[in-house]
Amino acid sequence: MSDRPVPVPDEVTAPFWEAARRHELTVARCTACEARVVAPGSVCPECGTTEPAFRFDPVSGNGTLRSWAVVRQSFLPGFEVPFVLVDVELDEQVDLRMIGRLLDGVAAIDEPGLSVGTPVRVAFEDVAVDVAVPAFVLADGTDRTRP
Amino acid sequence: MSGRFEPGRRVAIVGYAHSQVERHPDRTLGITTIDTVRAAIADAGLDVSRIDGFVTAALFPTAGDHARADGVTSVSANWLAQHLGVDPSYVAGFNGMGQIPGGVAIAANAVAAGAADYVVFHRALHNPRARYHGSATTEFGGAQQWTAPAGFFGPVAMIALAYNEYRQRYGATDEAMAEVCVEARKNGSRIPWSYWHDRPSSVEEYLSAPMVVDPIRRLDCDLPVEGVAAFVLTTEDRARHLPHQPVFVAGYASAMPTRHRVPMHWPLDDIMAAGSGLAERLWRHSGVGIGDVDLPQVYDGFSPFVYFWMEALGLCPVGEAHRVVEEGGIDSDDPTALPVLSGGGAIGNGRMHGIPQMLECYLQLAGRAGDRQRERASVAIACHSSPHLGGAVVYRADG
Repeated sequence: MSDRPVPVPDEVTAPFWEAARRHELTVARCTACEARVVAPGSVCPECGTTEPAFRFDPVSGNGTLRSWAVVRQSFLPGFEVPFVLVDVELDEQVDLRMIGRLLDGVAAIDEPGLSVGTPVRVAFEDVAVDVAVPAFVLADGTDRTRP
Repeated sequence: MSGRFEPGRRVAIVGYAHSQVERHPDRTLGITTIDTVRAAIADAGLDVSRIDGFVTAALFPTAGDHARADGVTSVSANWLAQHLGVDPSYVAGFNGMGQIPGGVAIAANAVAAGAADYVVFHRALHNPRARYHGSATTEFGGAQQWTAPAGFFGPVAMIALAYNEYRQRYGATDEAMAEVCVEARKNGSRIPWSYWHDRPSSVEEYLSAPMVVDPIRRLDCDLPVEGVAAFVLTTEDRARHLPHQPVFVAGYASAMPTRHRVPMHWPLDDIMAAGSGLAERLWRHSGVGIGDVDLPQVYDGFSPFVYFWMEALGLCPVGEAHRVVEEGGIDSDDPTALPVLSGGGAIGNGRMHGIPQMLECYLQLAGRAGDRQRERASVAIACHSSPHLGGAVVYRADG
């Protein structure tokens, strides 16, 4: 457990965080047009309906890197620096992108090396009692998350 | 939008003033604003009682936890009008991104529409004593529940992801970006009120600067400062009776819409797609093309914006800005180069938002740049923020 900030689920997002607690990644889906939406709001960004009634469907958790950055100065409490942030395109839909921590550590940038298109899969960090936050690991089968 | 900015030769900037740019001045921001605005009005050859319009963009652009107070951490147009003791007929504030082009557009529209005869547009930027973007928040609801719990917070990580995408795609190097920052500081060192006056930087200093969020170094970020700038706008016919050569607002454009994303997620493709839309609207609105522009001033609150704006405006092909820079192509002392940071930008002045870009356009086009006066300066562009969220204004010299 840590002093990291935790999410405050709301009426719409509660199912997402409930699934995350079970280490299951879901993505919101508009019930009108079936588009997948990361960070759903009150309007579907694809079809424009004001009654999207988003439901959170499980996804594979597989994706590819689009970018990354090494945070050496955190502007929030509870994070040990440095750590790696990754911009991930999920496999389920073109340009469906999430940002999370890469748990392989900073060394992974050089070894095995990151590039645009590198496959990753979801992992979860238990940050508080009954709170887990999605993150990513390289999908090459090597566990670099333990020292 | 139907196209051309019809009053393109009828709204003019007729005077300005700029405070000293300091880290933590003794006086409050409101006091500095009043003095700077009075100086701008005097510079325009006017009396305060003639000013009947006030426009600003009062955003305090921080992700951190800071108490807000009008007159201290920001200065609204209402606060200013009240404390100057005038009775304005028009007061407005711009609330979007790209605060300088957004505010200039409101001010120019007000003049063109006859809502006010003389409009003061000002920008006042505060520097808190606590960490600018630091937050102690431990719970995040709303849109930030998708980002902050994962450690994605604040504008440095935001621009780092976009810049790394650019680097990976086009092979841009640290050495090229060093040239951007050195160019900004070189020009800023020549500006009397700049925080960096007489303090140019060097490639070595840039390359040895600490990383904040790789690949963004501390010197890729403008320095938080406190400072105020003010401009007076009026109609062309009124401008003819005032001391300085008028500089016309020829047209403007803002970006948007962008794709729905988690907060502060700026994929490079989003930036460039919305940026090219902005540029098309800018040419249509102002009636000029990039080939007519002899003084492009790109925004550089984070140094990668320089590449993004150069490419979005069509100053070079997409993916080529870093090469142009590496080949000396933005050296303002070379008459054949693109003087995109000749005013020093935010990196060379301090975090004055898009003011250095706007002011350089005004000074050069009004023939008031002193020792820095450029031989050719007839059509200028001042950019602000990111090409996908901000805006740009085209200015024209008289004649």
